[in-house]
Amino acid sequence: MDFLISSFAAALRLIGSLSPDVVDAVGTSLAVSAGATVFAALFGIPVGLLVGLSDFPLKRFVVTVLNTLMAVPTVVVGLLVYGFLSRQGPLGALGLLFTPTAIVIGGVLLAAPIVANYSLASVRGADPRIVPTALTLGAGRFLAVGTLIGEIRFGILAAVIAGFGRVVSEVGVAMMLGGNIRGYTRTMTTAIALETSKGEFAFGMALGIVLMMVALLVNLFLNLLQKR
Amino acid sequence: MYRLHSMRKCYGSNVALDIEDLTIGEGRLYTLTGANGAGKSTLLNILAFLSPPTWGEIFYFGKRVDWNHGSMEEYRRKVTLLHQSPYLLGGTVYDNVAFGLKARGIPEKERQPIVEKALDIVGLPGFRDRKARELSGGEAQRVAMARALALEPEVLLLDEPLANIDRETAGSLETVIASLPARGTTVVLITHDPDQPERLNGESIVLTGGKVAHPRPPVRR
Repeated sequence: MDFLISSFAAALRLIGSLSPDVVDAVGTSLAVSAGATVFAALFGIPVGLLVGLSDFPLKRFVVTVLNTLMAVPTVVVGLLVYGFLSRQGPLGALGLLFTPTAIVIGGVLLAAPIVANYSLASVRGADPRIVPTALTLGAGRFLAVGTLIGEIRFGILAAVIAGFGRVVSEVGVAMMLGGNIRGYTRTMTTAIALETSKGEFAFGMALGIVLMMVALLVNLFLNLLQKR
Repeated sequence: MYRLHSMRKCYGSNVALDIEDLTIGEGRLYTLTGANGAGKSTLLNILAFLSPPTWGEIFYFGKRVDWNHGSMEEYRRKVTLLHQSPYLLGGTVYDNVAFGLKARGIPEKERQPIVEKALDIVGLPGFRDRKARELSGGEAQRVAMARALALEPEVLLLDEPLANIDRETAGSLETVIASLPARGTTVVLITHDPDQPERLNGESIVLTGGKVAHPRPPVRR
């Protein structure tokens, strides 16, 4: 127990002193996660809305695929993207492997199915009277769908936040595609894995606390928006 | 105004509506009665151009409604449907009542007096800045009524609009509804109140098992 308490105290000291290693890892994590989330939202939200609002022959199959993609292990995504970005891969010439961009690409693949599924769930859970109400008040199709999106905006926002949560907390993609390069591609999660294996438990704990704080802040932000 | 000819609406093998011929005249008030499942709401949805019939034809002012190629938005802007449990959008009462006006591109300056007037009619002056979701059931119903009245539609379709409203307000809204035909608005109103058709002094359409049982001429006008 003493070990945990002393590690916790050391972790707080590291955070308080703004240790450059901690700041670097936090900055990289937030940057790549935010980038991946933006692209995942740009792809995932329209897909979720489109699948939710339209009827087509393979809809069930598409929904099943989207659900399955949510459960793909991060290392499998890392492996797949690694195959494309490695020197021998089709995109090897771009030299993206072991760069923050590579982590963003992997992050998009991880987060997009989550954003799409949560958006789809929001559409399905929406009050069925929204679109007919808008239509009978004279809205065109686009305004009616816009009204629906407006009414389920917190569900969509929750989808984006869930996507961010997936990216910021994963380790497989960041490790395989980023390479855990100090000051460049080292994220909070890869740093935690590395430093803990080196016996630097307090450092890992410091990053773990920051990670939890990020999750807490994001959710507080969501709550604040919902209240408004 | 409307003419429904050999019209059927089916859900799977279930025939919800089977109307051989029904004419709805301009500037008149109709009460639509019938047992649960008789097809009243289905008929209202079709008249509101929200749901196409499975077979048959509908004419609106003599023009055959083309559900596949016509601009339904154009028709829908002439007709407003008010549900028994209406959906109020998030935001204020003003946002709700002004929604249809905004959709029609009416400028903000012109929207304000229209919204105020509609809220006055339904007995909710001073409610414009209230949050719509915080209203009681009766108030929400009246806001939805104001939202419909603000549009001054050619046809107002009402699905038991007074069901959740207190007696006094229901009485005043009934007076408002009864006055609409004189202003050129056709009203079709679903009711389970046996005295309402007579009070509203309109024509009666009775649906039984999806069929028009006995359309009757006006009581007196």
